Amino acid sequence: MNRVTQYYPILPVLLAYAILFIVGQTVSGTWQLVATLLFYCAMGQAFNIFLGMTGYVDFGYVAFMGMGTYGMALAITRLAHLPGLGAVVIVIGFGLALLMATLLSLAVGAVALRLRGAYFAIATIGVNEGFRFLIEGARIWNGAEGMIFTAQLVNIVGSERASRLMTYWADVMVLAIAVLAAAVTLFYMRNRVGYALTALREDEDAAKVMGINVTKYKIIAFITSACFAGLVGAASWALKTPYVFPPEVFEIHYTVEAIIIVMLGGAGTLLGPIVGGLIYGISKYYLSIFLPGLQLLVFAPIIIVIIVMFPEGVVGVLKNRTRNTALGRFII
Amino acid sequence: MVVEQMAGNLIQGLVLGAVYGMATMGLSLIFGVLKVVNVGHGAFIMVGAFIALLLFNTLGINPVLAVPLAFLFGLGLGLLFYYSVMQRLIKAPELATLLATFSLGLLLQEVVKLLFGSEYRGYNWAVGKIDLGITVLPMSKLYACAGSALIAVLLYLWFNKTRAGSAMRSVVEDSEGARVCGVNVGAAYALSFSLGIGLTVASGVLLTMFIPVGINPYMGGHYTLKAFVIAVLGGLASPYGAFFGGLVFGLLENGSYTLFALIPGVEPFALTRFFSFLMLLIILLIRPTGLLSEKRT
Repeated sequence: MNRVTQYYPILPVLLAYAILFIVGQTVSGTWQLVATLLFYCAMGQAFNIFLGMTGYVDFGYVAFMGMGTYGMALAITRLAHLPGLGAVVIVIGFGLALLMATLLSLAVGAVALRLRGAYFAIATIGVNEGFRFLIEGARIWNGAEGMIFTAQLVNIVGSERASRLMTYWADVMVLAIAVLAAAVTLFYMRNRVGYALTALREDEDAAKVMGINVTKYKIIAFITSACFAGLVGAASWALKTPYVFPPEVFEIHYTVEAIIIVMLGGAGTLLGPIVGGLIYGISKYYLSIFLPGLQLLVFAPIIIVIIVMFPEGVVGVLKNRTRNTALGRFII
Repeated sequence: MVVEQMAGNLIQGLVLGAVYGMATMGLSLIFGVLKVVNVGHGAFIMVGAFIALLLFNTLGINPVLAVPLAFLFGLGLGLLFYYSVMQRLIKAPELATLLATFSLGLLLQEVVKLLFGSEYRGYNWAVGKIDLGITVLPMSKLYACAGSALIAVLLYLWFNKTRAGSAMRSVVEDSEGARVCGVNVGAAYALSFSLGIGLTVASGVLLTMFIPVGINPYMGGHYTLKAFVIAVLGGLASPYGAFFGGLVFGLLENGSYTLFALIPGVEPFALTRFFSFLMLLIILLIRPTGLLSEKRT
């Protein structure tokens, strides 16, 4: 494979996101659904970088989205009174979201990534709850009351642009984050990071013996995944709905959704999170109309069946089917 | 004043801790034998709590009787889940069993929510109380504590005095070696999984004595986290370690609550929750094999 053709798999990703965007913009009344789908795809893309590439489950994943939301919220609430900053505050917000997600992932990773398999899962399962209770208990950042910052957002960019930001630009930012996450995933897959992670996923001891610094690559994947989660939180939660409440942004439900999306689509594949995100998002949308509140009752057995019978997910099956065909070059 | 309050809370903590310990034994048993972490652990506790609630409210059956009924129900649930799902995943990567137990817990939550709704419920089993001067202990909590200790002793005897128990212990030590010696390892897996689930569901009944209005399909999440702290305290693979881990955890939880309550301007309840998570990380950092675990020879 030469340098260009090995990056072909990004094309179906771009195509899928382009179609989503165009449908949302041209077919009236679909933008809200498209925005939700983009959120699921972006969340899946970010989660997949760690779960898919390392085979480790981070049950506290939503905490990074929460940190990103707080990063943006803090930038907006603390800088709104400064004159002349304008939209720069949003950029600072994203920077802060990245920084806070990275710091939390370093703190969690320092403990959890030294542990293997089951112990790792045990260490991470309480991260979101633990952090939520730290914020509420020590009354950090307004504690349990959270923050509502619509007024400050209007202050910064003006009321017209603020409403445009909430209903349109925030979703476009989520789209950009999803595309970027896919690009980074593919870049990792085609470079040393990906090779090392594949070796570690298949057999961690063997990888170690071969001289691979497994901890280093686990940390890289963990921080990358956390950063994208932070960005998704900042764009999709803080900017789209300008408020933050600890019980909402640390709700384990979102980790559950990320797991469903990635496993459905195919863990460790590039296209998986998109396929999973679309299937999950669209079925959840229709289930909420016909069987309100029951989507998890439907998805819990589905995910069990997938784990037992098709652990490689939809894209994994597709990948095996199209191997050595012209189409196979585009699907990983 | 503070000392009296602390002493009173520690007594409460010890009583609750015994039940915590019993509620974690199933988790440790399953990990010890199958090397599977039941990430859906709390959901099975929730099922037990609902069994106690329904038996009490609809049939007037008192919780003491509900414990063996819940245990049998859990045993059946465990067998069902083992043969339909877990058996196929014994050789699969860890990721598969983690996600599978997580999804089974999710499924239970959603089924219970569908059947009984998601509002908080509770029941009151009034059987008197004892006044110790520094604190008041309802008899129902004492019964739960005594029941937990009794179950722990029974499990100990079963493990050490029966043939099936020693077969199980041999699988914990070395499943290949046990197979060579003629132990039916598959049956031992099935038995310990269902036994673990049975114990967990039964513990849900006992826990309802401590949460008069806290029964809800999603109540299990907190207990999963607490059970992990306790299991790790006790060495994760040892059910008795888990029992003593529960006692230690009960004391630490109530002790830290009393101390946090002295700090002005904080929410002691939330900080206690954070503290238990911090404890988990610290134990995993300094001694992942557990603080109370015996050295294996």
